[in-house]
Amino acid sequence: MKRIIQYSLMAAAVLVMTGCKKWLDLKPQDGIIKEEFWKTKEQVKASVFGIYSSMMEGSTGNYSSTGYIPSLSELLFVWGEGRADNIAPATFASSDDLELVNVNTQPTNVNANWRPFYRTINFCNTVIEKAPEVLANDNTFTQAQLDNYLSEALTIRALMYFYLVRSFGDVPLKLDATLSDENINPIAKSSRDTVLNRIVADLKLAEGKAVTSYGDVASDKGRVTVYTINTILADVYLWMDKYNECIAECDKVINSQKFGLIRGATVNGPVIEYNDGWFNTLYYNGNSNEGIFELQFDAQVLNPYVRMFSSGFSTRRWIMAADIMDRVFTVDFTNDQNYDIRGDGASVRAATTTIWKYVGVNAISFRVLEQSYAHWFFYRYADILLMKAEALNEINNGADALALIYTIRQRANALDATDLAPAPGDKNLIQDFILQERSREFCYEGKRWYDVLRNAKRNNYARLGILLASVSQSVPSNMQQSAQAKMQDHNSHYFPIYLYEMQTNNLLVQNPFYR
Amino acid sequence: MKRVLLLLTAIITIAGFIFVTGCKKMNIVESTTDDVNIVGYLDKHPDSFSLFRQILERTGNAAFLNAYGAYTCFAPTNSGVRAYLTKISAASVEAADLNTLKDMVRLHLLEDTVFSKSFTDGKLPVITMYGQYLITSVANDQGVSRYIINRQASVLESNIRVGNGIIHVINAVLLPATKTLAKQLEEKPEYSIFVQALQETGYYTKLNTVDPDLSRRWFTVFAESNQALADSGITSYAALKAKYSQTGNPANANDSLNMYVAYHVSDGLKFLGDIIGTATHETWLPQEVVSVKLIEQEVILNQDVFNGVLEIGVKLDRPKSDNAATNGVWHDTKAHFMVKYRKPTALYWDVSAFEEIMKLPAYYKRANYNFARPTEADKPIKDHYWGWGPLAGTNTLSYLYSTSSSISNYSVNNDVNMLPMGLPNRPVWWEMKTPPIIKGRYKVWICYSWQKQSSSSNMLCQVEVNGVLMQRTMNFTDARPTGTDAELEAIGWKRYIENASNSNRQAARQVGVIDFPTTQQQTVRITPLVGTQNNNNLDMIHFIPIDQDQILPRFRPDGTMVYF
Repeated sequence: MKRIIQYSLMAAAVLVMTGCKKWLDLKPQDGIIKEEFWKTKEQVKASVFGIYSSMMEGSTGNYSSTGYIPSLSELLFVWGEGRADNIAPATFASSDDLELVNVNTQPTNVNANWRPFYRTINFCNTVIEKAPEVLANDNTFTQAQLDNYLSEALTIRALMYFYLVRSFGDVPLKLDATLSDENINPIAKSSRDTVLNRIVADLKLAEGKAVTSYGDVASDKGRVTVYTINTILADVYLWMDKYNECIAECDKVINSQKFGLIRGATVNGPVIEYNDGWFNTLYYNGNSNEGIFELQFDAQVLNPYVRMFSSGFSTRRWIMAADIMDRVFTVDFTNDQNYDIRGDGASVRAATTTIWKYVGVNAISFRVLEQSYAHWFFYRYADILLMKAEALNEINNGADALALIYTIRQRANALDATDLAPAPGDKNLIQDFILQERSREFCYEGKRWYDVLRNAKRNNYARLGILLASVSQSVPSNMQQSAQAKMQDHNSHYFPIYLYEMQTNNLLVQNPFYR
Repeated sequence: MKRVLLLLTAIITIAGFIFVTGCKKMNIVESTTDDVNIVGYLDKHPDSFSLFRQILERTGNAAFLNAYGAYTCFAPTNSGVRAYLTKISAASVEAADLNTLKDMVRLHLLEDTVFSKSFTDGKLPVITMYGQYLITSVANDQGVSRYIINRQASVLESNIRVGNGIIHVINAVLLPATKTLAKQLEEKPEYSIFVQALQETGYYTKLNTVDPDLSRRWFTVFAESNQALADSGITSYAALKAKYSQTGNPANANDSLNMYVAYHVSDGLKFLGDIIGTATHETWLPQEVVSVKLIEQEVILNQDVFNGVLEIGVKLDRPKSDNAATNGVWHDTKAHFMVKYRKPTALYWDVSAFEEIMKLPAYYKRANYNFARPTEADKPIKDHYWGWGPLAGTNTLSYLYSTSSSISNYSVNNDVNMLPMGLPNRPVWWEMKTPPIIKGRYKVWICYSWQKQSSSSNMLCQVEVNGVLMQRTMNFTDARPTGTDAELEAIGWKRYIENASNSNRQAARQVGVIDFPTTQQQTVRITPLVGTQNNNNLDMIHFIPIDQDQILPRFRPDGTMVYF
């Protein structure tokens, strides 16, 4: 009897033990895990597309309450315009926005939260690390296809670091993927030169792997091509003061003959003929012949811009600087048929002080919230021309630089009042002229602050005055003196590291200006 | 034996259990936070703050700074305190004079939390416990910019949050101002002429007193240096007196020298950062203001446009200004200036020529334009504003232009401003700021283009100028009565347009007489009393000195004035 009980207990135990197997299995039953992913080329493609959609991800939390994490698309605007002279805070701007404008940024300022950028960088790192494994698993996946995908990941990662290095100076250079919580290690900052050199190396590597075309317009404008890489490289070289290299990259894009300017206005004798479809083609629809790299929002993935800018919403955070029509575009009071096509009705809507580029359907009507899918323009062909002009001027070729500037001006019918008419040898005045033309051409395209800073910092801050003048436009009168004195400290041109990052990564050292 | 062994094993096992588990000490958190308070923070960093800590102990401030509250403390480092002790010739903290220390400490404490984001080019928003304001600025030293407090100490570390407030670490001790405005100026030989004028006019005494009442203590002086006066050809006090003192007695309030001095003093503590926040500041000369403009970093007094002529103002010398005294602050003007006497001059104000519409050349004098106000917080036009209408859609000021419509075909510049008004749905008042009007006594004419939205519409309004209710009402639905100019004027009407034959639509209603005590932008507010409608078409407002012709000039549609 005793034996029987013992045996049956044993048998039961065996049954129970074996039956357990499934319960002990920790794989999720409704998802895919790392070990099972990275098997097919479709999964690689999906991951690469994930990089792009990560850049269009929305914000988390409620704006102006604690715990808010801004979206990348919103930071592209705020970082590029918030500290420069073309914007003013609107009624819904939080104190963080005001402090940004007033040169009073603190490490607690949500606008200094770089998380969305590192998030996208991690998507890139994952592709760069894991995609090569697929070659072994999927026989239909070719080296050429892998190279194309890698070029996209490398380029976007370089672009993200380019934004970070221009905004923060020294930043942590994270090049391996964080796949799980076990990979989280504190990482120290790398110097800005190290980061910039890495960006150049990555872009050069990507250039050899990238495609010239995907075969359809939307992909050519929204995904990385060779020309995207050339354009970013040109911008990086310009930032690094390497002018001949910059010109070489610009020439690659120009000589491809794949891009051109969308006609805005043509002077025909006494009459100026405007292209009525200019705004629609270039900005409302996007993906025009002029676009080089755009962030393609659509009805499924909306951007935050209508809420941020439209005068029809109480959530409006930014408006145009009050004097922008007078100072930047100017107005011909004697002839209302003579205007800069980029001014009222394109960049701005002067009557309601609205930043119009992302909220206009045409010169007059608004996008409704469901139409908030204006593209973000990382680069347009106009940028290539003006970057080349800037580099040419720096190597003392003012004449060719001026020719490019006037090409841009004629396209838009820039008014005579804004023509500085510099002599080809007047390097400083041509610098000013290009800077002003860029302000008109890329108004609210997230470039103004970087343009001002790039020109101010050139030759060991020989032209710091540009920055000081910009500050005196946007900072309230009772803080201007302080703001200007702060700007004389070069560290103040870079953001503080966000407090949360400081607390969680003990290897980070705060930017000395904010200690 | 076996049993003993078993027992022993059992005992050891049990003991082991007890030992192991009993060993663990429960860690009970008894405090709600481990944040330190201000004094606790100083204690934690004795290398930097031991001397200041010692001073707090000696002056009896340590106790309350370690208790609950909300303070801002500017904590000087040890090297700063040492330099201070040397300055007051004290060998140690114990040897220093207690009252001096107490005053010093109170200048470093604010009874509120002030973060560096509130630092401006002027004073802090909160007064120190000592009773003097601290001023902030930023200076760049060898490429590093730091906040400067009171022009005496730079901030080494800011915004350190502790349990009962915040600490800003500074590298030197702040010293309170010890002299009055009058004494400070007197000590500077380069202001001798101005100071002598202060003395002779009797204002010296007032500028030399420190009123215990904080609301009356502070003055702001715009001092003219001898150099500034010399640039205007005044090289001595005698020359100044000869130029202005027509009665020979500068102490007399009607003496021009007295007025000159009074015009250089304003009530209140106004550092440059504060001055530029307000367009005009009243002076001690009754009803006279100095206007302030910030033009390309320069603070400029009295630069104004009168009747289309720009009058160049006087610059303040920024590095020499912002000098704090016990009873105020004084600034240095780069040139001599004196109050200007202007004769009252009529203002024929075309209300629809405002900056915002003039910036839109496609609309100004060309087409209609609506200035919408999507939310109550918006302010589409700087100088025209209205009480939010309950029905959101009515909050639109329309710029109407037409050469053919009967509303504006005879109006000045063929344009009018139209704003819906009246309860229950439409805006509840309409307010506008005029261009500067010279002080004096004026008759006020509201010039409008009458229109009725429907035959039963009524729009009776009262008009207030600078908050003073005008004697007569006006009605946007009333046409101009017929009669000769004299007949009309007698009952408070006039024809302000040239066209006499076709239309009585353009009407001007004299709503009353107003005294402007001060030359500045004045405020006109129109408030509906009875009725409501959209079509309130305002064309002009005339302010005509009472002793001048009220009827002429009249206006053509192109804006020219005619005198018949």
